[in-house]
Amino acid sequence: MVSSSGVRERHDMSLPSDVVACLKWVSHPGEPHDERFAGISPADRSALEFALVQAAALGTTVTAVTVGPPAAEKVLREALACGATHAVHVPVHGAMHSAHVADAIAEAVPDARWVWCGDYSLDRGTGSVPAFLAARLGAQQALGIIAVHWQGDGLVATRRLDGGRRELLGVSPPAVVSVEGATAHLRRAGLSALRTAAHAEVRTVHPAATAHADDAVVRAYRPRARALAAPVGDTPLDRLRALTDSGAAVAARGDTVTLEPAAAAARIAAALHEWGYL
Amino acid sequence: MSASTTDVDVIVVGGGPAGACAALVAARAGLSVVLLERGPFPGSKNMYGGVVYPRILDQLIPEWWLEAPVQRWVTRRSTMLLTDTQALTVDFRSEAWGKPPHNGATAYRPDFDHWLAGHAEAAGAQIITSTTVTGLIRDAQGAVIGVRTDRPDGDLTARVVIACDGVNSFLAKEAGLYEHTDAKHFTLGVKETLALPKEVIDERFGVRGRDGVDIEIIGATGGVNGGGFIYTNLETIAVGVVLKITKLGAQQQRPEQIIAALKQHPAIAPLVQDGELKEYSAHLIPEAGLKMMPKMTTAGMLVAGDAAALCLAAGIWLEGVNFAMASGMYAGETAVEAIAGGDTTATGLADYQRRLSDTFVLKDHRKLRRAPELVLSDRVQHLYPTMVANVVERMFRVDNPNPKPGVRRILAQERKRAGVRRRDLLRDGWTGFRSFG
Ligand SMILES: Cc1cc2nc3c(=O)[nH]c(=O)nc-3n(C[C@H](O)[C@H](O)[C@H](O)COP(=O)(O)OP(=O)(O)OC[C@H]3O[C@@H](n4cnc5c(N)ncnc54)[C@H](O)[C@@H]3O)c2cc1C
Repeated sequence: MVSSSGVRERHDMSLPSDVVACLKWVSHPGEPHDERFAGISPADRSALEFALVQAAALGTTVTAVTVGPPAAEKVLREALACGATHAVHVPVHGAMHSAHVADAIAEAVPDARWVWCGDYSLDRGTGSVPAFLAARLGAQQALGIIAVHWQGDGLVATRRLDGGRRELLGVSPPAVVSVEGATAHLRRAGLSALRTAAHAEVRTVHPAATAHADDAVVRAYRPRARALAAPVGDTPLDRLRALTDSGAAVAARGDTVTLEPAAAAARIAAALHEWGYL
Repeated sequence: MSASTTDVDVIVVGGGPAGACAALVAARAGLSVVLLERGPFPGSKNMYGGVVYPRILDQLIPEWWLEAPVQRWVTRRSTMLLTDTQALTVDFRSEAWGKPPHNGATAYRPDFDHWLAGHAEAAGAQIITSTTVTGLIRDAQGAVIGVRTDRPDGDLTARVVIACDGVNSFLAKEAGLYEHTDAKHFTLGVKETLALPKEVIDERFGVRGRDGVDIEIIGATGGVNGGGFIYTNLETIAVGVVLKITKLGAQQQRPEQIIAALKQHPAIAPLVQDGELKEYSAHLIPEAGLKMMPKMTTAGMLVAGDAAALCLAAGIWLEGVNFAMASGMYAGETAVEAIAGGDTTATGLADYQRRLSDTFVLKDHRKLRRAPELVLSDRVQHLYPTMVANVVERMFRVDNPNPKPGVRRILAQERKRAGVRRRDLLRDGWTGFRSFG
């Protein structure tokens, strides 16, 4: 539980941090109307951890930003307790279109060099805020990242592609990076940091143009479409097998070999690599 | 320790009813208070049967009934005696209990505890959740001066620590306040929460609106000494059993099987039929009252609620929340006075024991000190229900052309048939009279 004391409203939008973590307050899917179960998604927790690690390496500070209802201030205090230095709350009531969320964040942190976001939230949003945000900030985007390697002032991000393949992106600032939930484990806040964070200042920012909640169009969750090559096969059954990767298709690309253990391991690794799993 | 050398005045461990009331009282007196709770919010980890008797809250939150997150007001209390095929019910209802200032209420603990802790927070206590206290910090003389938690940088010092960490309190044990603990002093409470439409609950239990029912059950716990209960919430019912741990272990029975059997009893099945299982939960109960209570104070520390084994479990009464709230309140008051007087040694905190002794908290325990053992005894559990049910069955059975037999004769015959010795019956009757009378 976090007290809302210490909240001060400010319209001054200058922020000292280069590194920003965007945290979305989401209700628990099983208890949508109960704030006690609400919080941030695993992906946002990863984003915050990356932001903290990067800021420490760059010798700068982290600003945590959330666009959400008054209760969302709780996640900002958690972020402060974990090591963020500044917290910005853009208050809105109700759902908001991703483009407008991005507008609000961009106005709150116009000079951000690195913006870390979760890939998607527990309430199954579209995952499009980071992309809109990158556009608003004129920044590079690296979305759906599963691993990060720091490299000088930039980083190399690994992105998941279809078919188990990976893509490596060299990213330099200004950039928006969205990460998957399992990529980092958010550190546990210290006790005295938690106690201090409860009374720390949370800036409330009301950007002029966009801080209005609008009727977001909420649709049922549909996984993204994957582009697949047309199935090859003489009969409908063969084509179905090819399409679903079952039976004939798999058999076709497997072969039986007898090898020494070391050679067998190398062969398996090579096959997995070839098929895009490694 | 003086205020300037500690982080806070009072640390309360545990966000159950005892902890919330302790924190509320201390914070209202202007002390700096931190309440540490291991769950994500107060009440999130807590379970019980389902009925609170919040009269003691009149002293802390006037007209609490206007805001407390209550499911139903208990206006009907029944005690059921079950054998495998029979049921004898004593049923009482009171219109008055449905109106302010009320008596008992069914409530969900995550709601009730959260609400109560909210009052402590509003009074200025800082509630830190998802934080487990892992040990005590003591000074060179052995006085408790703080706690250690599972967080980085997790030590916190205070002038008084109030341990409200519930049954089997390892803080009280670590402080050396329990001489010994014995498995036979505990029962295991298990409960199923079953969802049913409100109209169905109203119809089956004969209530309307916010009126609710509390049924205590003796018998039908599958040969394991204990008891059962059914409580009505608005759209769920709680069905559970409380089982003597030593017997449960000896009989190698699983608690969920015992609940399943209870639900199939002919007197219970129609009440629970078609209920959709929403939750299964289990928790220990400190059942032995005075026999197991620890020392309540040591230098720098007080123990309240279940941590001090203050739950009253005496057959038709299973009251722990009100005892926890009251003891938490008295612990808070004692801490406030001791800190104001600058003496938080065991002597400075000794008034806590007096407060407990002078009020219902220990008075009820003293009066009912023989009750837990009597209620859980083999005779009350296995012999008397059969004997009493058979007596009642024969009284109401029409055996024409035979004439009605006299009650005394039936009683004598059924006593013998059940294998109850007259001497034991008299002794248990006398114990029961002295406890409950
Ligand atoms: C099956 C069952 C049925 C019951 N039915 C009833 C009933 O109908 N009516 C009634 O009045 N009573 C009932 N009781 C008893 C009642 O639940 C307890 O007496 C009451 O909850 C005691 O309150 P408490 O605050 O002392 O402890 P608890 O409610 O147990 O609270 C202890 C708190 O401390 C926290 N905690 C524990 N250890 C730590 C730690 N190391 N660090 C941080 N936090 C910690 C826990 O998470 C918890 O929030 C029942 C009990 C059971 C098990």
